[in-house]
Amino acid sequence: MSAGDVRTQLPRALRPADDDGGLPHLRTIAGSQTTPPLTVAALCEDFAPVCESAVDPLEIASALEFDGMSDQMVRDRYGYPDVFELAAEMYIQVPRQPAEPPPPADPWQVSRLQPMLHGLLYGLPAVCFPAAAVLLAGPGMHVVLIVALLAAWATSQGLAGLGYLRLGRTTDRGQAKRLLRAGLLAGLVLLTLTMAGTALLVHARLPVVIFGVAEGAYMLGACVLLVLGAEKWLLAVLAPGVLGSAAFLALGRPPGLLHASWIALASTPVLAVLAAIVCTRGSRSAAGRLVVPAELRAAAPAALFGLLAAGLLAFPVIAGAHGQGGVNVGALLATLPLSLSMGAAEWSLLAYRRRTRELLRSTHDLAAFGRAARFVLLRALGQYLLAAIVLTMIATWIAIAAGLVQPARLLLPELAVYLALGCAMFLALALQALGVRAVALIASAGALAFEIAWRELGVVSQLAACIGLLIVLGGYATRVLSMAVRHAF
Amino acid sequence: MTRADVEIALTAEGTYPHQFGGVSVWCDQLVRGLPDYDFSLVAVVATGAEPVSWTLPGNVTGLTTMPLWGPPPPAPPGSRWLRPTVGPPVRELVEVLLAPPGEEQDRFGEVMREMFTYAQYGNLPAALASEDSVRLLSEAWRQRWPDPDLPPPTLQDAVTAIQLLEHALRPLSHPPPRADVVHAVTNGLGALPALTAKWRYGTPVVVTEHGLYMREHYLHSRQDPYRWPVKQLYLQFLRRLCVLGYHEAAVITPGNVYNKRWEARLGADLSRVRTVYNGVNPADFPAFDSEPEVPTISWAGRLDPIKDLESLLRAFAIVRAEMPDARLRIFGSPPASREPYVARCKALGQELGLGESVTFEGRVAEIRDAYAAGQVVVLCSISEGFPYTLIEAMTCGRPCVATDVGGVTEAVGDTGLVVPPRRPAELARACLTLLRDGELRQRLGSAARLRALEYFTVDRAVSAFDEIYLFLGTGRPLPTPRSGGEPAGLRLAPVVADAVVADAVVADAVPGETAPGTAGQPGSARLEAAG
Repeated sequence: MSAGDVRTQLPRALRPADDDGGLPHLRTIAGSQTTPPLTVAALCEDFAPVCESAVDPLEIASALEFDGMSDQMVRDRYGYPDVFELAAEMYIQVPRQPAEPPPPADPWQVSRLQPMLHGLLYGLPAVCFPAAAVLLAGPGMHVVLIVALLAAWATSQGLAGLGYLRLGRTTDRGQAKRLLRAGLLAGLVLLTLTMAGTALLVHARLPVVIFGVAEGAYMLGACVLLVLGAEKWLLAVLAPGVLGSAAFLALGRPPGLLHASWIALASTPVLAVLAAIVCTRGSRSAAGRLVVPAELRAAAPAALFGLLAAGLLAFPVIAGAHGQGGVNVGALLATLPLSLSMGAAEWSLLAYRRRTRELLRSTHDLAAFGRAARFVLLRALGQYLLAAIVLTMIATWIAIAAGLVQPARLLLPELAVYLALGCAMFLALALQALGVRAVALIASAGALAFEIAWRELGVVSQLAACIGLLIVLGGYATRVLSMAVRHAF
Repeated sequence: MTRADVEIALTAEGTYPHQFGGVSVWCDQLVRGLPDYDFSLVAVVATGAEPVSWTLPGNVTGLTTMPLWGPPPPAPPGSRWLRPTVGPPVRELVEVLLAPPGEEQDRFGEVMREMFTYAQYGNLPAALASEDSVRLLSEAWRQRWPDPDLPPPTLQDAVTAIQLLEHALRPLSHPPPRADVVHAVTNGLGALPALTAKWRYGTPVVVTEHGLYMREHYLHSRQDPYRWPVKQLYLQFLRRLCVLGYHEAAVITPGNVYNKRWEARLGADLSRVRTVYNGVNPADFPAFDSEPEVPTISWAGRLDPIKDLESLLRAFAIVRAEMPDARLRIFGSPPASREPYVARCKALGQELGLGESVTFEGRVAEIRDAYAAGQVVVLCSISEGFPYTLIEAMTCGRPCVATDVGGVTEAVGDTGLVVPPRRPAELARACLTLLRDGELRQRLGSAARLRALEYFTVDRAVSAFDEIYLFLGTGRPLPTPRSGGEPAGLRLAPVVADAVVADAVVADAVPGETAPGTAGQPGSARLEAAG
């Protein structure tokens, strides 16, 4: 085999006449006459969309080649030495006039019903507590319930964080399902151990411990279903517990139905776990690692925030009206509208993200964006506050009408605490959603520490803590969320 | 020093060892084919959640993944509190990217090295994805926007572009791979880890391109959702990065001469280019000792519009008009979401009255059976790189008819017929020429097998890299290749566009004919001068 140029090896008839020193090429023997040769102008017309939006001639060259154009064809038909030179000519002939890409789908456009449904899902389980009152007695009952609440919020928020992270990192839902299922089981074990340990320490009665574990099981199962978008399943899961409890309460707690109400109550957490297991089935064979340390680190703030939020929510209830312990009925009543208002918070946050997204796409100047973004944030906060006030008024009116609280004893301070807390939680949600976590965590921890340290001041310290938290988060959010780069995700 | 002392870092982007596909097959063949070398794998991946899909051979000593879109790489210790006094050169990067293509390329190289230096002790992702960067870009755009008629960039564009750059540069924040030779099996982002190894340790870099990185990104950009300013900035970034990859490489090894054209156009130094063809394992494709009785055309591949099965069906209608007993057998399945295309093709077959003479056979377990099914194997794509279908069929000794796209002429040489794409009449004529002439099929088939065994085997590709690794790994300059980087004596296929001439070509193109002349092509001439 002789060394040398490929062209010198060609059959003589095919050797290119124009030995111009270019890269190896061949001459087509005879141009086909079946289609009339196109002119460059006609070609420009055919390739107008490509040429108009090309960033350089090479982009046109890639499109020509992709369409079957070879150097040979270019030489035969258009008289240019190769595809690149033809593309350069087309780049000159067709002025840039890029078409706008079709508007991408708005990621924040979800059905209006979904946040409302979420609000119900957060708030409805509260009905179960009074129905289970008989079960909840004995030494250490409050400690067990509060530990259950904290553990359940922390594990379920952490698990939801992990689940969303994994869903965002892979198109393989099987991986996310496997992670959620493993997290559910690990969370259940962790909860059970925590509850057992707490019960031993405070000598709590078994029903209380079971209630605490059941509460955590429900929250973990519900969190798996929410992450996977199976809200309707969750409604079905809630139905027996909520309807059973409501009916039991409405009938005036007839002793004959006591056991039936317990069965209804117990079926909700059992169904929640079963539904979560069913929804994550068939994931055992999913590929890849179950979880990586980076994911655990990334989900840790969510778990911590769950813990702090539960603490802030529960502390006024168990601290009593004057910080001497005992259940503060007013505060307990206020937690229901606050839970429901989390649906409004979600809805308001979606509206906020929609508006800032529009703003980013229509603004050319950072300062103008910052001003407008601050206004949009205040507007969203106002929207949430309005919804929370309306919900609170409805709940208070129902409570007074049902005789649960004396009309004389207005709940204003407690309600103010929860409204401030709700607004602060909304801001913390917004900060978290936009990837800013540290300050919300530190400020929430500070507020909770303040409430605990000055607990003898009762509602005054709670009010101070929550308003302080609101001010800190408000000031911080208006500053960092007016930065364009925060809205990139 | 022996091969055992030479360690190779193999860097890839979105292919080996996480995904299946041509490049991964090639990497697997390379690593298994050179068991005396230790390989450490560096994979630039999308999110880091991808599972490893390949069983790694024993000479793979490690796997490092560098996700572009998952959680950011861990910041260097202390970078949170001891922030470097000088930030990364974002302003310089923006200015270089807004300069006309071709200008400021050296400056781009310097900026990238400064970015790398910063990333090794500061938190580059955080510093890049900052409000300051967005401000720098949006102001630079405002001042230098070339044309008032072009869509003006919005803040969203600035934010998106900065995000894209931040993610693209994440490989700079990982420790550079430590090896004697670093082999990037792609250019662009996948070559970034290789560049860092060169900058830090002076490791020699080999850049291999199967698909041409830049060409593929130009094509992909047409589906991207970005507005023009973002598209322009990002493609300029990738283009400059590819040019930098060529400049920093000790050896550039395109998979075919067709790709080499692009590398030359982008400014690669041709004296450093050595074409190394893809190959198949001949043991997997032994020669057929018979062919089907019925005149049959066989086609194999993914059923995708780019394969232009419509032209094949139209061509076959012409063939059948002249050879009523001819058959067309189509092997393969559509990729996800391409089922409507298959339905369209089947409808076209009915419309052309082809009836039972065309069969869609679906996937075959052994691809060799698909080639065995035809007297002639056809490839009629409108775009290809260096198609395995052809070299596999050739290795089996089947004559091919193929369209003149990508590296097809290089693959087929003078052992098959090449026609322009999208021309059913020419395609039909070429098929008829072969179907009517058993002796010609026999001759071209044997020649095809000889050609494939000589140029397109795994062994040949592997030994080319054995040589490159051994020389670069022991600090010696590569010897001047015998020819201009391409296999010696490699012939290209003539493109047949006319039946009469086709016969002439066939008569003239039989193997054994040697043409006089010794003039080297420019690439080889320069190589010899350089050597």
